[in-house]
Amino acid sequence: MTSRRRDDVLLGLAGVAIAVGTWELSARTGLIDPRVFPGPVMAIATAAERLSPGTIADNMGWSLYRVFSGFVLGTLAGTAIGVAAGWYRWFGLLARPLIELLRPIPPLAWIPLAIIWFGLGEPSKFFIIFLGAFFPVVTAAYHGISTVDPMLIRAAQTYGLKGVPLLVRVAIPAASPDLATGIRIAWGLSFGVLVAAELIAADRGLGAMIMRERNTGGSVGIIIVGILLIGLLNLLTDAAIAAAIRRWVGRWRGA
Amino acid sequence: MKRQLIQLAVALALIAAILAGLEVGVRSGFLKAYQFPPASRIARGFVEITTTGFPTGISIWSHTLTTIVRILEGYIGALVLAIPLGLLIGAVGVLDKMTAPIVVFCRSIATLSLLPLVIVWFGAGELTKAVLIGYGCFWTMLSNVIAGVKYVDPVLVRAGRSFGLSGTELYRTVVFPAALPRIFAGARMALGVGFMVIVGAEMIGTIEGLGALIMEARSFYRSEITIIGMLVIGVLGFVISSGLAAAERIMLPWSTDLEGIRR
Amino acid sequence: MGARETTAADDAATGPAERAPARAAAPIIEISHVSKTFEARHGDGLEVLRDIDLVIGEKEFVSLVGRSGCGKTTLLNIIAGLEAASSGEVRISGRPVRGPGQGQGVVFQQHALFPWLTALDNVAFGARNQNLDKAGKRDRARELLRLVGLEDAAAKYPRELSGGMQQRVAIARALALDPEILLMDEPFGALDEMTRLELQQELLRIWAVRRKTVVFVTHSIEEALVLSDRVVLLAAHPGRVSRDLAVTLARPRSRTDPRFAALHEEIWEGLSS
Repeated sequence: MTSRRRDDVLLGLAGVAIAVGTWELSARTGLIDPRVFPGPVMAIATAAERLSPGTIADNMGWSLYRVFSGFVLGTLAGTAIGVAAGWYRWFGLLARPLIELLRPIPPLAWIPLAIIWFGLGEPSKFFIIFLGAFFPVVTAAYHGISTVDPMLIRAAQTYGLKGVPLLVRVAIPAASPDLATGIRIAWGLSFGVLVAAELIAADRGLGAMIMRERNTGGSVGIIIVGILLIGLLNLLTDAAIAAAIRRWVGRWRGA
Repeated sequence: MKRQLIQLAVALALIAAILAGLEVGVRSGFLKAYQFPPASRIARGFVEITTTGFPTGISIWSHTLTTIVRILEGYIGALVLAIPLGLLIGAVGVLDKMTAPIVVFCRSIATLSLLPLVIVWFGAGELTKAVLIGYGCFWTMLSNVIAGVKYVDPVLVRAGRSFGLSGTELYRTVVFPAALPRIFAGARMALGVGFMVIVGAEMIGTIEGLGALIMEARSFYRSEITIIGMLVIGVLGFVISSGLAAAERIMLPWSTDLEGIRR
Repeated sequence: MGARETTAADDAATGPAERAPARAAAPIIEISHVSKTFEARHGDGLEVLRDIDLVIGEKEFVSLVGRSGCGKTTLLNIIAGLEAASSGEVRISGRPVRGPGQGQGVVFQQHALFPWLTALDNVAFGARNQNLDKAGKRDRARELLRLVGLEDAAAKYPRELSGGMQQRVAIARALALDPEILLMDEPFGALDEMTRLELQQELLRIWAVRRKTVVFVTHSIEEALVLSDRVVLLAAHPGRVSRDLAVTLARPRSRTDPRFAALHEEIWEGLSS
């Protein structure tokens, strides 16, 4: 089993090596023009020369701060509203039509309205990242709560549980696998929205960093490194969230 | 049935209440019409945008058509590439293991982060938009096709073998049909991704398309047109996803648990 | 005591099934004129139970037997307070049932354990109204797991347990409530034959230790005869009591005992007619 696992890792590394090698070779042999598509070595070298670790850390910090604040609040609000809509019939009647009406609008389509309402600064970005996290979570929470196995509710009722304790101790744990899926989707979406928001209107953050590079006719290498950094950041944070979810619901649910 | 009627009534009442509230709020001077356009203004905006158009000469229909064409170019291109490639990778274990990290990483790259690079390569024109949409759709589609083939229920494969099927014949008669629901799910997700990307991509370097419309309207302080544009985007998204779901039910009537497929 | 009048009366003098004896124990569950009709969307409702009268004594083990559709589960749910009767009343220790949590422990057919809690925490959940602190509840849960022979599985999650073990945990959880009455809805129906026989003996053993009143719903005549003091037959469409037999055979009961076979035969005919 472990040796098979090792084989898988080796094959994966071989695949990556082939891909990166092909890229580097194509640039060196002039198959692709290194001025518009530099090879990996050259791209990293340019970036290392022109960008200080401090600059990268600063931009990355801004990006992470934005995405986290929007994601955390969007997730909390989505959970609260989705759970309430699934649990209290009257609230569901009120909230669901609004949610269903607004849900098909992609978060990025809110950018102009966000600017109208909140101006060009941070609140606008926060708002659309918030929406990016809110809709997947609210949908998942509603779905999770409204499809809890009625048998579990009945079982809990036989122990005298009702009202809020029934919701907190039984319905919400039972809905948590759905909620977890929604949260993971929300993270991916928040991240995508963040980058777009930074490209369109920002002066700090990884998205802004690469857009500035292109607007000032700077180095393509830096743009490429920036894109890879954004991808890596997304990959690592998503893996961290997946691991947290495994600890949270995978334990009892089997994953 | 009765419940649905109640729900519908509540929904309509709620929307009417919000619209009335905006109208009253603006007329009493409590809300700024620029920030919260009242229903009357939205209605006038709608007339304008369907007749003279915004910017003048480009009606809402032609914006919508432009956006649809852009999505389809990228989307169909991605499907044409991703389906055969995914069918191959999913079937060949070694290939799957070699490509897995690359697929995961490329999927993690936020599609719009490629915008500056793609503009350098292809300029700010139509090709850039098609490439961006294609990129987003491609990796979503590819990973779903691979998963669809890879995770076919082994019992079905064993059943196929018991009838003496093997090799390409087994693949064609058992593995491929069994993978179809997941492939369809991927196609639906990919279209969602494409839809998300187009709105962002249209906000830069063009005045045509729904994304451009809402951004353009904002810079002319025409928030009612922004809102109409958003609603059209929402309706379009809704029509597309329910259309694909319907197509799926018609083409794969036997498939049951499509909602359960997520990833 | 109208419920005691049954069609089994004629056989009582000679057969192993006697007319149910005059109640020695005090009544604990009194079901009087309970009817239940489910509202239908179109046309008439579905009448599931009609005018059920039944008195169950303290510490009695009573089985409700009938074909599917005879409303036995509905009746159990009404006793549990999970469903309301359309008319009539159920009293427990003289108090009308208004809802669950009046001293009725329930074991469901599908174990209905909380998948996010370990076996121990599931049982401790059952002890929530016992005025115990957390440690006290856990002690109690551990003791009950020992009673059902699962002290080693305390830290496992339900999905890691076999069907039989899950149902044992469910029984322990219901016992943790320290209920006067244990209501069991085909608790062994989803188990394989071997496990079912094992759990029947286990239940009798637990019942001998913890003398609860048990109302046990089953469609298996044999299971009812192995376990109960009394077998109540329900006829279907609408559900009503058709027979009420006392089973006086000494436990453990042997399925090969001719008196067991005779009772089985009698109930079988009662269900078929």
